Amino acid sequence: MVKVMIAKPGLDGHDRGAKVVARALRDAGMEVIYTGIRQTPEQIAQTAVDEDVDVLGISILSGAHMKLVPKILKLLKDKGSDVPVFVGGIIPREDAEKLKEMGVIEVYGPGTPTLEIAEQVKSFVEHSNA
Amino acid sequence: MSNTQMREDEILEGIRAHDRRALAKMLSICENDPNLANVILDKLEKKRSHVIGITGSPGVGKSTLINAILDKMNQGVGENVNSIKDMGTATNKKKIGVIVVDPSSPFTGGALLGDRVRMQSHATEENFFIRSFANRGALGGLSPSIYEACDAFEAFGMDNVIIETVGVGQSEVEITNIADTVVVVLSPDNGDEVQMLKAGLMEIADLFVINKADNPRSQILLSRLRKMMITGDKDVVICLTNAVTGEGVEKLIKELDDRFFQILSNGVFSLKRKKRLLHHAQSIVRRELDELIQKFENDGTELKEIKKRLLEELCRKAHKNGS
Ligand SMILES: Nc1nc2c(ncn2[C@@H]2O[C@H](COP(=O)(O)OP(=O)(O)OP(=O)(O)O)[C@@H](O)[C@H]2O)c(=O)[nH]1
Ligand SMILES: [Mg+2]
Repeated sequence: MVKVMIAKPGLDGHDRGAKVVARALRDAGMEVIYTGIRQTPEQIAQTAVDEDVDVLGISILSGAHMKLVPKILKLLKDKGSDVPVFVGGIIPREDAEKLKEMGVIEVYGPGTPTLEIAEQVKSFVEHSNA
Repeated sequence: MSNTQMREDEILEGIRAHDRRALAKMLSICENDPNLANVILDKLEKKRSHVIGITGSPGVGKSTLINAILDKMNQGVGENVNSIKDMGTATNKKKIGVIVVDPSSPFTGGALLGDRVRMQSHATEENFFIRSFANRGALGGLSPSIYEACDAFEAFGMDNVIIETVGVGQSEVEITNIADTVVVVLSPDNGDEVQMLKAGLMEIADLFVINKADNPRSQILLSRLRKMMITGDKDVVICLTNAVTGEGVEKLIKELDDRFFQILSNGVFSLKRKKRLLHHAQSIVRRELDELIQKFENDGTELKEIKKRLLEELCRKAHKNGS
């Protein structure tokens, strides 16, 4: 069973996108932990560790991704976790490249079909367990 | 399945050293390989925790109420029956494990686990540990590995283990098999609460909470519940709470502490624990059985034959495990 967490950091309260992805992953047969809006990097990292999820998805629409994502990645590392992380939101291509260099496995724009995301998330987990 | 693996001895050592990453990994083993979990858990000493079940219809406010309980506990409300001897030391904060269970889809097996949302303000507190479980088709509103998970929390040294069941009304009696105290939460929002009580929730309650006390109709619910108790043979404490503001929650915690003290002294606690062992064993056998039936499902074998083969397989397994 694949266990995935969908987190929504930052100050904006728009979580429609995050919820759509969470439901799509559930419908693809995964167990999805949704933690609600306005989560701090510390809350997100600790929850991912405590829930021992196989993969962590971060949804950011506020534009603060270059600040928030590296923070979360560092906290995860400090806590001894190497859970694969993907990011969804409105993210310029050059930022997406930088995030991937930092270790983010994939970045999804607003139009990405949820079925595609679900397929890929499953394959991330298979690879990280291999 | 999990990202970084930990060896069994690392987990044992980690749990003894109160490393929460070890507990996180242990809980995954409980979910994915409960037989192995039982072998590991047998090697660990367990604290005498007060296991509290929180049950009630969908949306009555179970998760919000647990959040309010955690709020108050952090403000120092509640006695620590277990660690009275630790008094005077700096860390007299109660250690609390929370298990929240949400339903799995019977069609896809997927689940949306959302109870945590209401408790996220406590996600980073050292003395609390919240973990989400999908019920994976288990009957009774709990997870198939609930006994193992509860044991893991007790091995970690929790003072309280709080379990939120799936929000379904009827036949959720499984919680009485594992919890020392069952709290049935009602809300005046639900028009048919009294109906629900007649359908079986009445019997399992060790304590009633009427939540959403800010709704004036809660008084009507209260008097109806009292009336039912007069005609029945049960006398159970009723607490009124507003889980959003925390009103009434202090009193609830006090009632829970009183109850724990009472069942420790009158023998009910030991009796409950003996029964819990039996139900745990039953759940292990049931799980083995379910796995075997899954295996036979598409065979087209005759009933008599299936029964015979099931028993044979069970005997073979028992032999192999040496237990
Ligand atoms: N007015 C009022 N609203 C409340 C109270 N307690 C909870 N709520 C609200 O009721 C809704 C459901 O609360 P939850 O805590 O999610 O209920 P639940 O019983 O855990 O729900 P399920 O897990 O889905 O069965 C939320 O919108 C809460 O904010 C209360 O005391 N008063
Ligand atoms: Mg809930």
